[in-house]
Amino acid sequence: MKKKLGFLLALFVVIGFILTACGDEESTADNGSDGETYEIKWYTVGTPQPDTEKVFEEVNDYIKDKINATVKMTQIDWGDWDQKSQVMINSGEPFDIIFTNGTNYIQNAQKGAFVAIDDMLDEEGKELKEEINPTLLEGIKVDGKIYGVPSNKEAARQTVYSFNKRLVDKYDFDLSKVKRLEDLEPMLKVIKENEPNITPMATFNAYLPYDYIFNNEMPFAIPFEGNTDEVINHFESDLTMETYKTMHQYFNAGYLKQDAATSKDSWPMDVENWFVRMGDTQPYADLVWSRAAKYEIVSVPAEQPVTINDSVSGAIQAISTTSDNPEKAMEFLNLLNTDPYLRNLVDKGIEDVHYTKNEDDVIEDLPARIERYNVPTYSLGNHFILYLYENDPKDKWEKFQEFNDSAMEAPTLGFHFNSDPIRTELAAITNISNEFYPALATGSVDPEEYLPKFNKKLKEAGLDKVIQEIQSQFDEWKATE
Amino acid sequence: MKTMGKKYRDPQRLHPVVNIIVTVLLGILAIACIFPFIYVVIISLTSEQSIVKNGFQLIPEAWSSDAYQYLWSMRGQLFRSYGVSIFVTVVGTAISVLMITFYAYAISRPQFQYRRFFTMLAFFTMLFSGGLVPMYIVVTQFLELKDTVWALILPLTMNAFYIIIMRTFFMKSVSESILESARIDGASEWRIFFQIIFPLSLPGIATIALFSTLGYWNDWFQALLYINDPNLVPLQSLLMKIEANLEFMRENMDVANMQQSLFSTIPQESAKMAMVVIATLPIAVSYPFFQKYFISGLTIGGVKE
Amino acid sequence: MKKIARDIYTNRTWLLMVLPGTIWLLIFAYLPMFGQVLAFKKFRIDPDGFFASVINSEWVGFDNFKYLFSTDDAWIITRNTLVYNTIFIVLGLVFAVATAILLSEMLSKKLSKFYQTSILFPHFISWVIGSYFVFTFLSADYGLLNYILEWFNIDPVAWYSEPKYWPFIIVFMSLWKGVGYGSIVYLASIVGIDRTYYEAAMIDGASKWNQIKNITIPMLKPLMIILTIMNIGKIFNSDFGLFYQVPRDSGALYSVTNVIDTFVYRGLMNLGDIGMSTAAGLYQSVVGFVLVIITNYIVRKIDEESALF
Repeated sequence: MKKKLGFLLALFVVIGFILTACGDEESTADNGSDGETYEIKWYTVGTPQPDTEKVFEEVNDYIKDKINATVKMTQIDWGDWDQKSQVMINSGEPFDIIFTNGTNYIQNAQKGAFVAIDDMLDEEGKELKEEINPTLLEGIKVDGKIYGVPSNKEAARQTVYSFNKRLVDKYDFDLSKVKRLEDLEPMLKVIKENEPNITPMATFNAYLPYDYIFNNEMPFAIPFEGNTDEVINHFESDLTMETYKTMHQYFNAGYLKQDAATSKDSWPMDVENWFVRMGDTQPYADLVWSRAAKYEIVSVPAEQPVTINDSVSGAIQAISTTSDNPEKAMEFLNLLNTDPYLRNLVDKGIEDVHYTKNEDDVIEDLPARIERYNVPTYSLGNHFILYLYENDPKDKWEKFQEFNDSAMEAPTLGFHFNSDPIRTELAAITNISNEFYPALATGSVDPEEYLPKFNKKLKEAGLDKVIQEIQSQFDEWKATE
Repeated sequence: MKTMGKKYRDPQRLHPVVNIIVTVLLGILAIACIFPFIYVVIISLTSEQSIVKNGFQLIPEAWSSDAYQYLWSMRGQLFRSYGVSIFVTVVGTAISVLMITFYAYAISRPQFQYRRFFTMLAFFTMLFSGGLVPMYIVVTQFLELKDTVWALILPLTMNAFYIIIMRTFFMKSVSESILESARIDGASEWRIFFQIIFPLSLPGIATIALFSTLGYWNDWFQALLYINDPNLVPLQSLLMKIEANLEFMRENMDVANMQQSLFSTIPQESAKMAMVVIATLPIAVSYPFFQKYFISGLTIGGVKE
Repeated sequence: MKKIARDIYTNRTWLLMVLPGTIWLLIFAYLPMFGQVLAFKKFRIDPDGFFASVINSEWVGFDNFKYLFSTDDAWIITRNTLVYNTIFIVLGLVFAVATAILLSEMLSKKLSKFYQTSILFPHFISWVIGSYFVFTFLSADYGLLNYILEWFNIDPVAWYSEPKYWPFIIVFMSLWKGVGYGSIVYLASIVGIDRTYYEAAMIDGASKWNQIKNITIPMLKPLMIILTIMNIGKIFNSDFGLFYQVPRDSGALYSVTNVIDTFVYRGLMNLGDIGMSTAAGLYQSVVGFVLVIITNYIVRKIDEESALF
């Protein structure tokens, strides 16, 4: 009797709520098809800015006439982004455009969170398609379909060793000799002996020339050169052993911090406490870095520019399947990526409020741009129609083009593994990689002892099965290319 | 010690020697617990160069108030966040205490026929939760609370754990005999609740109120999920955001280095510690207020029957 | 039907009192629970919102649970979770009750009050900050502990890569953060104990120790049992920050710091699979539920009064 009563009560309340919820859904089904102005909800990454509303009033004034829509851009702070965007997507929240990148993009596309835009690219996004580097569009295809608009910028990755130029000059080092990790040794030694306040190597993971299926921590890769048909565990290769041995030798010599494997230090550039570091470059990166650091930085490539899955999916604006009007969203993205006025308005703010422009279309930031409208350029769209700053080289965007054109295509470019069949194994392997990789890649432990241990554990967790699955999907993908 | 003599000693009190041992032991514990806070204060007053060079020191090489000057420079956001935190904590605690004591009192009374069912209804929720995404849907799509202050208050209002504690408290410390006499005098159950039970249960209520206050004050996760508007970000969430942004920076060093101005506003170690200080201080100051009730609980207990 | 109506009427005051709470529980606790079915589904997103997604996702049986049992590591994490939590429950109980009793017996009430304020402090501090404290002691480069060891001419220890010390560090930190909070719960209960019991005992000439043994502890017993049963319900869950942030996610320490929550977090970082994370949560809840039922059954066999239900 008692139970029955409780049940009735519960049922009543639940039904009540479902009813109200349904009622709401109907009232929001306004997709602007009947000539009304449609509001595009756009979520993107970055710290919310005080002047966003002000800038978007201008944006809306401009685009209302062009595409009969307005945009509401909401920024979600960097650190909150991953979790929040994931919850929003999984919960099926209604919105139109969302920023995404890397593995998140691929997983969400595979899960059905984004609209495939191939058809729209021939209609609403025609101009956009012409503007954007085809390599980018090709590279982000998931199961043969494009699920978002990539930021048109550098499409390739080039890892470099960057040096503190003051020290290079002081000791007269010859950087042209630097090709591999091993070549750093004599310089590190000099720095260690003579510069007590400098850590010779800012903490980084040793570079290995592989094309990774997931990322550098996971034991699945294809070499850039040699046999590019076969998926291997690159932690079993001699090259890895050698590289990690060198790294371990550096670690023992005190070139790296003793807590390298667990360090949370991000080595900000404006603190001059390092001699060499590793990072990804783009044309004129040394200039940007030196400007930020306030002392000179000079880089030497560790690899040729290479177009990989990660570098093409670095910044994508995708249209949500929950959008009421995907076509409108596409029209906006099209305009954003092709209309210089709109693109610069969204990126730099309002002229004479956030920046000033002189005769040759060269701009300079006003304090308000940094303080009140500081948005991340890389995530928002096409770079090639952005105004240049006074201290930018005139040929900046041409150099980007050259950089993209010169890049080699990685063997797995465009191949996106579907991990559904081997999820169990991957969860275990991720844990094992987490356990061993940071210590090995920073040289904190002896690879002769730990690499075999690592590989043995991977085998036990089902490495072979995963490699086999990747191989078969890879072969299948290759056959259709 | 012997001279104290047995006949002078109040048997309800501890032997003085034992008392000294106990006092010293607890003192060590208390210092171990409070030391970190002092440490945080010291770090917040250490100059940034000194931290980079020597790490965290107990007596820093160079002192500096830069961290607090930095916080002063962002006082606009800080005061607003303080306001949000205080509002959420005060209103949330009030609602929470009221709802929990009602519920707990009802299920603690033998006259209530359905008490077992409602006890289980509460208890079950402690073990099984719905998970993040369904909860998000309830708050944002059913109740449409996104970007409102209620999204920070309502999801934390009830807590099965507190209900059970309160229920035990009522069962142990509110005897039926007082209630009986009140009922004979013709008082309604509501009057009994507010005029007799509530004052009588202050120690228990103070405990729940303290927990609830802590819960609200320290919560940042609700804000992470439901708040986009910077005007509604509570203090702890501000602190967590800074931490999370630093984490993002570490993992995306290349993005951070390319457009450095985006991250230049993220404070350094000392400023972070200064944030911890100003976020912890109010609760530390208000705690003695609750404590008064624990102490007064002694007297209430004494005159009860 | 008539009887139900009459029952409701006689209980109207009580029902009205539980009504706000019940509504809350239904909306915020029971309504979201339907999401648990995701543990048995391969989640795909449907344009028509979450319900459609849940309904249209494919059933996969117990596939989402497999990774929790598939490897040797899976057993290590289960062991770690269980052993640590058992230690936390036992030591936490002992320390919290002992501290509460001592605080209530201290002669100087002023000092007692100050101590109470102090011991609650660690509870305010998040593990992110807590991990900084630990780091200041254990850092290989400039930690306090190595500095002290050096002073005694003992070789410094690479704390973050030596698993053997960590069980103690973890237990110590857990107590450091939890005892204050726990002792306040018991203290609130102690001050609620009727003074007349003690007066009666004093007249009988009972010593302080006997008073504690025969009055205070028995009076605290119901609370102790309830809190313990509730902790047992969470025995498969662990404090994520304690096991992730405090050891700085150091791989070398995984054998003693990896617990179910950290394993799930690390394992699903790349996959972002909500089916699998729901499965882990459900697994933890179900085991907790079963253990609670069993514990409560045992408690009831021994002492009917103290049982939770």
